[in-house]
Amino acid sequence: MSIDRRVIKYLNWPLLGLTVALFVVGAVNLYSASAVRLEDGIALAPYFEKQLVWGLVGLAGMVVFMLFDYTRFHALAWPLFFLTLLLLAAVPVFGSTVYGAKRWLDLGPFSFQPSEVAKITILVVGARLLSRKPEKLGWGEFLFIVFVGMLPAALVVIQPDLGSSLNLLLLLAGIILYRGLKGRVLKVLAIIVPAVLPLGWFFLHDYQKRRILTFLDPTNDPLGAGYHIIQSQIAIGSGRLWGKGFLQGTQSQLRFLPEKHTDFAVAVFGEEWGFVGCLLLLSLFAMFLMSIFSTARDARDRFGSFLAAGVFFYFFWQILINMGMVLGLMPVVGIPLPFMSYGGSTTLVNFCLIGLVQNVSMRRHTFRHNRSLQFRGEAAYASKK
Amino acid sequence: MPIRSESSQDSHPAPKLGLILIQVLILALFFAFGLRFWYLQVHKGEDFEAKARQNQLREEEVYAPRGRILDRSGELLAVNQPAYALAIVREDVEDEEATLRKVAEWTSIPYEQLSERLEAGRKKIKPFDRLILVPDIEFELLSLIESNKVYWPGLEIVIRPRRVYRQGPLLAHVLGYVAEANEKELKERPELSMGDMVGKQGLEYMIEDTLRGDKGLKRVEVDATGRRLKEFMIEQPVAGQSVALSIDLPLQEKAFSLLEGQAGGIVVLDPDTGKVLSLVTQPSYDNNAFAAGLTKTQWNALRSHPRNPLQNRVIQSVYPPGSVWKLLVAGCALHEGMLDPKATTFCSGSYRLGRRVFRCWKKGGHGHVDLMKGLVDSCDVYFYQLGERLGVDRISEYAFACGFGNPTGIALPHEKGGLVPTRAWKRERFNEPWHGGENLNLAIGQGFTLAHPLQVARFVAALLNGGVLYRPSLLLDEEPEAQGEIPLSEAHRKLILESMIKTVEDGTARRIKRPDAVLGGKTGTAQVVRLGTERLDAEDIPYKHRDHAWMASWGQKGDQRYVVVCMVEHGGGGGSTAGPIVREIFRHLFGEPEEKVAGSGN
Repeated sequence: MSIDRRVIKYLNWPLLGLTVALFVVGAVNLYSASAVRLEDGIALAPYFEKQLVWGLVGLAGMVVFMLFDYTRFHALAWPLFFLTLLLLAAVPVFGSTVYGAKRWLDLGPFSFQPSEVAKITILVVGARLLSRKPEKLGWGEFLFIVFVGMLPAALVVIQPDLGSSLNLLLLLAGIILYRGLKGRVLKVLAIIVPAVLPLGWFFLHDYQKRRILTFLDPTNDPLGAGYHIIQSQIAIGSGRLWGKGFLQGTQSQLRFLPEKHTDFAVAVFGEEWGFVGCLLLLSLFAMFLMSIFSTARDARDRFGSFLAAGVFFYFFWQILINMGMVLGLMPVVGIPLPFMSYGGSTTLVNFCLIGLVQNVSMRRHTFRHNRSLQFRGEAAYASKK
Repeated sequence: MPIRSESSQDSHPAPKLGLILIQVLILALFFAFGLRFWYLQVHKGEDFEAKARQNQLREEEVYAPRGRILDRSGELLAVNQPAYALAIVREDVEDEEATLRKVAEWTSIPYEQLSERLEAGRKKIKPFDRLILVPDIEFELLSLIESNKVYWPGLEIVIRPRRVYRQGPLLAHVLGYVAEANEKELKERPELSMGDMVGKQGLEYMIEDTLRGDKGLKRVEVDATGRRLKEFMIEQPVAGQSVALSIDLPLQEKAFSLLEGQAGGIVVLDPDTGKVLSLVTQPSYDNNAFAAGLTKTQWNALRSHPRNPLQNRVIQSVYPPGSVWKLLVAGCALHEGMLDPKATTFCSGSYRLGRRVFRCWKKGGHGHVDLMKGLVDSCDVYFYQLGERLGVDRISEYAFACGFGNPTGIALPHEKGGLVPTRAWKRERFNEPWHGGENLNLAIGQGFTLAHPLQVARFVAALLNGGVLYRPSLLLDEEPEAQGEIPLSEAHRKLILESMIKTVEDGTARRIKRPDAVLGGKTGTAQVVRLGTERLDAEDIPYKHRDHAWMASWGQKGDQRYVVVCMVEHGGGGGSTAGPIVREIFRHLFGEPEEKVAGSGN
């Protein structure tokens, strides 16, 4: 692997800085969320320690994803896709059950979630499919991509992991919209999708239905499905302007907050750091997203642009859904907040994806190594013209 | 080569406008989130801070023991024992359904029932307050739950005083029982919370406010799993006031056992105060069962019992008073000045009024009968002619004045008033005028007339104490309350008392006679159905058609005076059935008759 000196030179420093900053904020927050108070002070913060380890693993993963030329993914897309399908299909058979769901594959000393791998795969396959032509999507291409995306999403949803499969589909939807749909496709979808969406209701589990109903009226079931929403709002709201201070959040420290180290990490943060802290966190996330987005905008080629756009949407939806949920603006769906929520696989994948964006970003000024890759589709397009 | 090739620009996936739009959307989204944070943390921050405090600090009710109930000599009748209830704190529960299923498995209470209870409590009890799920759990079950409770956050064992009636059925109709407050009671009394016990029957119901006391309040700091970190009392609970009854426990036991196997009631009064010394109803029921919550089967068994053990026969059942009523009619005639006690009527065994013939209980007749003989031998014919002369208006007015036709006002719920018929009542009830023949039936305590044993006892007490109608009272410290006076002169009263003594001496109440005390009595045999002209032996008549047996009596020995009234449903003859029971009661009150003691000594 030859590395151009300019590649290092063009490293996207703001993105790296924002990523590390978010990770640090998240880790500190996890310390507070998971700290176990013994007689004299804080004794253990198990999630914090593990998260630090995962952070280091993630940084390594990020470096790996930065170094080789991302265009190689173009050729790897399909093999990766079928491997992912195999892994996902193996989960219901060999997976271990945690909280009533089979999401993990045990690999000796560590276990991982194939649904995390699926995120990278969808991104790569999506970028490859979408970058073939420059013009807006027609029916054929659109349906094919939807079909391709549905396969892993369906395998994830039966685990059951509604959050992850939703994430996969939204990611795909994001980059499809990023490329654009032909007018006639857009018109038909604008009619069909709102009509079909309510049918999805019948495929939801009871608890999922309850969450949606509860979202519409949380007081309806203040201690069933509404509990999370109410408790997280109490935690955040009671932080007020300046927050209660690090490790001082009574709601999280007295363990009123459920899932406070995973999906509801922001509630812990909001309680301890207040409105001021939350604004800073929001700014960090906004800059982080903008930084990824500008990489997509400025990418050297369409494949790279779609890869970066995919990563953008991957993070964008998670932030939107998680914060929306914690703030009581959306139904409760188990989606983590990047770098804030505890999670080994997620953290690793997050860093790898940032590595991928760096990869695209760093090479935006270099010549195309693989011209044929870029122009094959365009030539065909041009010849058609 | 330029850094950005032409083709790259051309082939850029998204149009420029779209790119800008996406950036604007991101900013808008984050602005919206920021706004939401502002709303929650700054605008509503104070509210949420208050809620956060409330989350950690819960207020818990501390149950106050109910006042104890004692008999007149301090014997304990109703006490409190610590009992265990299973409560649920919804806020701490992880999975409501699974938790309820577990409880259902432990207690074998159907899941649906528990779930119904939880739903009912949802609106009434704050999520972080305890909702009593199972009001009473057995000790064996308690240890099982206690050891498994850690896996089921939100379940709590609550210790609270449970009412225990030491004597159970013996005093069930006096004490009543407590059970969980119902919808209506919860609405009426804001101090009650779901699962609280309130008096439902008897004294428990009537003097609920005295007995209940005030719950205390405890502040408990908890974490989210409901684990208690600290607790301190804010308000001490105040135990309910204890109450001493005028009931004499050994007497009650005696009377209760005398009625064993029968259906009927006994009341023993202190004639000079109206205090109730004994109030017995048979059959009875175990009032302890209610505190634990009756099962459907238990309840149905009680309800469908042929002799209805829930019925307090002393105050809630009314019967034709039979010949006991003749005391009143005699009083009425004397009071009206329409009667010369020495004047006689001839009893041939029947009395003719128009075309109807009214029979005396004694087929062959009593011959010449004056008032004394009429009462002592309970001659129907004598009273037929009195009834004819007095008429319904006089008799009913007098009967009301003697306390019949209305509840006595004893501190027990659901007391009946009985029935004193009047012309107006008959018009109202049957839309028919009063017939002359009905005066005759009225005069011997048959026909429409209905009274309960306590009314009879109060009347007898008034005859004995100089004419005062006291409100029957169960509470030892209550001042006697005179409700009125029977309209009867001293001389006439004595005359009637004398007739009662004679009745014991050599009349229908001979069975209660004893040499060492002055006893007066009047028996009554109240017809349930008209059985034609033939008088049959009780054994030959189906139970439900047998006559009710009455005995109204009083006794005096030294300065001890008592009124004893006994009524045995379908008991047959008053003298033969109620008599021996009353005799035994006086034996208990006055001791063994001295003559007999002396006799055995010789």
